[in-house]
Amino acid sequence: MKSRGKTAYPDVSDILQRKAEARKKNAALSFGEKIAIVEALRARLAPLKRAREEHDAKKAR
Amino acid sequence: MSLKQTIDVLNRMEKAGVIGRYCISGAVAAFYHVEASATEDLDILVSFEDAGSKTGLLSLAPIVKYLNELGYAQFQKEGILIEGWPVQFLPVADPLDAEALATALEVSVSLEGGDVQTRLLRPEHIVAVALRTGRPKDRVRALQFLENDAVEIDALCPVLGRHRLLQALADLCGAVGLSNPCMLERNA
Repeated sequence: MKSRGKTAYPDVSDILQRKAEARKKNAALSFGEKIAIVEALRARLAPLKRAREEHDAKKAR
Repeated sequence: MSLKQTIDVLNRMEKAGVIGRYCISGAVAAFYHVEASATEDLDILVSFEDAGSKTGLLSLAPIVKYLNELGYAQFQKEGILIEGWPVQFLPVADPLDAEALATALEVSVSLEGGDVQTRLLRPEHIVAVALRTGRPKDRVRALQFLENDAVEIDALCPVLGRHRLLQALADLCGAVGLSNPCMLERNA
């Protein structure tokens, strides 16, 4: 725990380190694996994108 | 619907002379070298020199016509939807683009559906184009390459020098407190 004044904050350095390691691992994937991830992400995000477009269209009316 | 099928269509277009030499640029080219993230479209840097424009005026009409005949008629934002990917054709617009396209990496990539031959921008040109474009997301991309050692400094600095982008790199490094690798190389 790190403390600033009376408030105590958790030490997140290990979380940040794990995230950095995961980024390195992801960067080392093959191009095909990366594109598969991007395509899955696009499919998962499609409903959100549609909702955003509908929202924007309603606002523009 | 996968990127492999999209690239197959691009390769057919090049073979048929509808477009000249092409290479993948933008986020998808960057994914070859660094961590992938979400992107919506596929940017294609393309030469129209070999595609036989008689007037010298640039027109996407032959591309649109060819794709319409194959059944690709839907536009999404600025891109033509080819096998699920909105494809944006970006013509070579300056000497940096011309060099990037001429020296693009020839690769065979394994994608869902099989292997496919294509071209991708080299890392030094991805960084140079990002510095030239200069939007916040482009600056983030340039930093991603620098921080992850995804670009060879020996290759990057001459490209930036040739295309007058060394100051853009210095400004970016100064703004985020990063050592300027081209300055370090010069002082070494």
